[in-house]
Amino acid sequence: MAVSTVYTVLSLNSTCSISKPTKTHLGFNQKQLVFFKKITTITTTTTRRATTVITCSAGNTVVIGLAADSGCGKSTFMRRLTSVFGGAAEPPKGGNPDSNTLISDTTTVICLDDYHSLDRTGRKEKGVTALDPRANNFDLMYEQVKAIKNGVAVEKPIYNHVTGLIDPPELIKPPKIFVIEGLHPMYDARVRELLDFSIYLDISNEVKFAWKIQRDMAERGHSLESIKASIEARKPDFDAYIDPQKQYADAVIEVLPTQLIPDDNEGKVLRVRLIMKEGVKYFNPVYLFDEGSTISWIPCGRKLTCSYPGIKFSYGPETYFGHEVSVLEMDGQFDRLDELIYVESHLSNISTKFYGEVTQQMLKHADFPGSNNGTGLFQTIVGLKIRDLYEQIVASKTGAPLEATKA
Amino acid sequence: MAAVAGVSITTPKVLALESPKMLQSAKFSLLNNPWKRCTEFGRGRMYVHPVAAAPEGLSEKVAESVKNAKEACSENPTDGECAAAWDEVEELSAAASHARDKKKESDPLEDYCKDNPETDECRTYDD
Repeated sequence: MAVSTVYTVLSLNSTCSISKPTKTHLGFNQKQLVFFKKITTITTTTTRRATTVITCSAGNTVVIGLAADSGCGKSTFMRRLTSVFGGAAEPPKGGNPDSNTLISDTTTVICLDDYHSLDRTGRKEKGVTALDPRANNFDLMYEQVKAIKNGVAVEKPIYNHVTGLIDPPELIKPPKIFVIEGLHPMYDARVRELLDFSIYLDISNEVKFAWKIQRDMAERGHSLESIKASIEARKPDFDAYIDPQKQYADAVIEVLPTQLIPDDNEGKVLRVRLIMKEGVKYFNPVYLFDEGSTISWIPCGRKLTCSYPGIKFSYGPETYFGHEVSVLEMDGQFDRLDELIYVESHLSNISTKFYGEVTQQMLKHADFPGSNNGTGLFQTIVGLKIRDLYEQIVASKTGAPLEATKA
Repeated sequence: MAAVAGVSITTPKVLALESPKMLQSAKFSLLNNPWKRCTEFGRGRMYVHPVAAAPEGLSEKVAESVKNAKEACSENPTDGECAAAWDEVEELSAAASHARDKKKESDPLEDYCKDNPETDECRTYDD
């Protein structure tokens, strides 16, 4: 009986939905309270219709927002992130093969393209790109993310990238970590409030152009001019609607061309900056040597030999859109394992559980793009910081109800 | 009509050249009315479940969308339609590249065995 008392307290605090179940929502963290409605007679052998099931989770779902241009779902960042939590993320089995959702034991990643209000033909008629807020249903996005955060499963629509149509919905059950990835996770103020942590991937124009050339030159229909025209045509909408979201992000990963090789236009060696907002709850920025000071560090020297063009790190406090931030920057490439472990041993506040965890994670996915430069390194580190954030949130939440029962 | 539905594997290329719109609308009706699948098409013919588009179909779409975008922009470069057309090109290119990556990593035998571990080809022995 004591156990049920605790649950009642929880249900008062968090919003739960009372539903007549058509399927039982036996989700990951859900505790189900089954109330039998006492009708006039004593016998409680009422039909199933009379039972109402209140499904509440302990409200343990942590919501992470990731803003990145064009396309979502199976991107490298998501695979690294889910790998940090353990387990492989896969599309839901038995569902729509063109679903953009990834599910693992602890994490569910959804693509915000699923909240398009206009499908491809609709957008063509109105002359609107997918970047435009008019093509997206922010009300539905807010309602469903709020429901998931409160532990209620939702039927989320599917946007099929192949056909360009909106497919019948799929069921999404609240996981421990819920990642919303897409073009507008931080655009709507209400959705922004729901996010426990937000990340923005800022790719500079030169690097974007180089990456898109690598991606699209294999396609028959494309030429250099068409790739360039595509980027140019989307740029006004991108600058107006997507780019301003970076001021709201807790962490920005900025990818720029390298400064180590003069006049490099291949985009193979990258300069990556991890911009971390100060004062975010449960998030302690990564630092090098001394927190709050300005450091410039070249690890290659007597103890470590690197090949051309080498590696250069820098760290320091800055202001970014009016906020205090700490910036950790890496320029160059990793060639060998010992470079990676050497760098890892000199970084502080990376929230690893054991020495060499970052290196191990990077090696695990050595075939992913960016595994030899700052993109892979910072994505892995952000993944570990998110894990740390999740554990802190869970620890603080389990602390609270115990105090409530004591009082 | 049944032949145009695009369910059979042998004719996608022909369909793409002739009438892409018809193919799309047929796929559309298939997706939105899944109960119609088995009865309407293929009495006595093996029904093939429509899986994610093969890269060849996607490549055709990409090439076509680039052509459309060039046309739309030649008339009026600053129009919303031009931007929407190039956005479609971008979306299809992304989908094509994802499909290529998926195809690269997937081993047909492994995929089959994941779903059917009891068949002869997938039996494993621990001696």
